[in-house]
Amino acid sequence: MTALDVQAQEPDVESREVAKPRRIRFTGRLMAPGVVVLAALSVLPTVVLVAMSFSTVSLVGGFRLHFAGGHNWARIFSDGAFWRSWGTTALYLVLTIGLELVLGTALALALYRFARGRGALLSLLLLPMFVAPVIVGLLGRFLTDSAYGLYAWLLSQIGYHAEILAHGPSAFTAVVAMDVWEWTPLLMLIVLAGLSSMNPAVVEAASLDGASGWRMFRHITLPSISSVLLVGLLIRSMDAIRYFDIITITTNGGPADATKTAPVRLYETAFRFFDIGYAAVTGILMLVVTIVVARGFIRVLGRGADA
Amino acid sequence: MSPPSGVSRRSLLAAGGLGLGALALGGCAGGTGGVPAGEGWRRFAGTTINFVSENTAPTAAIAANLRPFTELTGIDVRIATYDITSCMQVASLDFASGAAEYHVVYADPWMMLAPLARGMADLREFLEDDSYPQPEGGLADFVPAMLEVEGRFASKGPLYTLPYDCPTLLLHYRKDLFDKYGERIADELGFDPTPGGSLTWEQYGKVGKWFNDNVDEVDYGIGLMAKQHDSLSCDYGNLLWAYGGDYFAAGQRIGLLGATDPGECTLDSPEAVAAAEMYMRLVRVAHPGSPGWDWDSSGAALRSGRIAMCANWHENAAANEQAMPGKIGYATLPRGPARSGNMFGGTGIGVNNDARGAQRGAAWLFVNWATSPAVQLANLASPVGGGTPTRQSVYRKPQVVAAEHRPSKMPNMLASQAAHQAWRPGYLGSRPKIPMWNEVLVTVYTGLSYMVAGDRTPSAAMRRIAHDVRQIVARGWHA
Repeated sequence: MTALDVQAQEPDVESREVAKPRRIRFTGRLMAPGVVVLAALSVLPTVVLVAMSFSTVSLVGGFRLHFAGGHNWARIFSDGAFWRSWGTTALYLVLTIGLELVLGTALALALYRFARGRGALLSLLLLPMFVAPVIVGLLGRFLTDSAYGLYAWLLSQIGYHAEILAHGPSAFTAVVAMDVWEWTPLLMLIVLAGLSSMNPAVVEAASLDGASGWRMFRHITLPSISSVLLVGLLIRSMDAIRYFDIITITTNGGPADATKTAPVRLYETAFRFFDIGYAAVTGILMLVVTIVVARGFIRVLGRGADA
Repeated sequence: MSPPSGVSRRSLLAAGGLGLGALALGGCAGGTGGVPAGEGWRRFAGTTINFVSENTAPTAAIAANLRPFTELTGIDVRIATYDITSCMQVASLDFASGAAEYHVVYADPWMMLAPLARGMADLREFLEDDSYPQPEGGLADFVPAMLEVEGRFASKGPLYTLPYDCPTLLLHYRKDLFDKYGERIADELGFDPTPGGSLTWEQYGKVGKWFNDNVDEVDYGIGLMAKQHDSLSCDYGNLLWAYGGDYFAAGQRIGLLGATDPGECTLDSPEAVAAAEMYMRLVRVAHPGSPGWDWDSSGAALRSGRIAMCANWHENAAANEQAMPGKIGYATLPRGPARSGNMFGGTGIGVNNDARGAQRGAAWLFVNWATSPAVQLANLASPVGGGTPTRQSVYRKPQVVAAEHRPSKMPNMLASQAAHQAWRPGYLGSRPKIPMWNEVLVTVYTGLSYMVAGDRTPSAAMRRIAHDVRQIVARGWHA
């Protein structure tokens, strides 16, 4: 490269540096409507939510905030029911996500092996996902009723005669099972998409090297689909933390608070007790927990995907 | 010329007129629905108003037959119905917005009126203004206890709603089985098992167990509504009053009129604990599905022949009669050492205080019309709904009195005699009308649910409930 060439290039460098802010301004203008809508739909409510958590909220005669300092936040430390609901939420999250992940992956692997009829089987297996959660709850309630419920009858054939939704452990198991029934197909679909995009050459090479079964899954398949698993887990964990419909329809949080998760309690606090300030604290904690769980999944699975 | 039968033309015309009048009154098929069409009814013609209500039988009946109101007033009414919790949310958010999207509000005295009374208009504004049509028969025509429980809050002055419905918990029992086995039960157990009268809760439990052991027609004798739900608090409340206890030291004073500060909680009193212990004795002999049942499920269990007795709302008599014609009887709930307590669950309708102008006046006209004797009579015979009247004059009408006995064209009236007894002082039970009731209610039924599940003893459960309720009351109330 000659000096002339360098000189000739210099104006280009300058022009790029000058043009850069222009391009940002242009994209900024393009993004502006989206940013404004996002602010209106997300940032503004979040600010109001935080303000409410430090306030006593009046509804009658117009929405008003009365500053209450840290009173609502201090209450959570002496509220045993609040922490119990979070414990229930954690257990619910671990069980539903864990079971859905294992079953969804197993179903996807099984389905992946089918060359014929995969489409028809997939359509059948996906059906629960398209049922509204509230309908799943109603179905679950009918199916577990001791008088006419099919599942209650099947359980009675193997010696279980108690009312399923009337006892804590069985009620909790039932609502977890309903969630797993509905959402396992989503994870199956996501994992199947990941399996379909695997590089066949890598699988073939591993087979030639003698890998099969569990070793193939552990060292070849799982790393290949970890990025799509991450997406699935993020979607489901965010959903499970705020899960509400099935529990409200089937058990209303009972018996003995066995199924009262944080969102059920949030609903109760806000819309039954009209204790909006305290409900805002629960809402903010749900947001924080959702972010922490999502970051955790990204850290664990994202690292695997990068590797 | 006289007709061949010898009946005069005058008497024929009179009979025809009466018949047509009764038809119009009963069916409300047209005209004004039997409401006197005096001055003032058409002053807001052309206005549209919205009514938010719980999805109850009276609202279903009114929604199916709004034409008489529109013809009487020229006002168009749109009705939105929800379950009670959603109805409460919609109303409270409407009050918060100040926009008065709903001009007429169904206001449950405990869940909605007590916490949100400031959102409701004081109806004296209309009652003291002669330019508005006044309630036919005056306020004195409403059952007095209903007017106080449903219409007022914390003060004898303002009137926020007019009584609209009056469901009351009564004992629903298989009369056919008691007719068949009554004498045998009396011989074997040594007391008269007939529901009502002097039957105690202790004896009720024994009768239930006797059914479990001796009767094939039903699976179990007793059903409870012991789900972690409002129904559990209602079920227990009946025993609480029967055993001489109450939620607060002020007792039924705050149950009837209500108060902003309820005072000392007495849910850990010996009477409250004795009632809880009795309830657990009932749980042990009741249908095992009871801990998962609310009032709908226990009613369904009775109608499907799974149980012989349960407490349930008296307005379910029509549904009972449809499923088991002639087989179900009604009585006041069993007695405890103090009395028989029968939970009252009636609700009034009122005007949103944010409603303005013509819509405010139109809302009052609708409240007045919907609670009028003619409309309540029509509701009783409605094929889509029912409910029972809150007007004393309706209960005195010959066709209504006749309907108290089978065969009945107004089957909800089959429970009427027992209901009337339940509304008398010494039988009626009303939950505390306090602004923080919703939280107290959830605390009570959650604590009781722990007891029913066997996680806490009755005394531990009641101590815990009382402790939590005291904390709620100490925090005060902001609405």
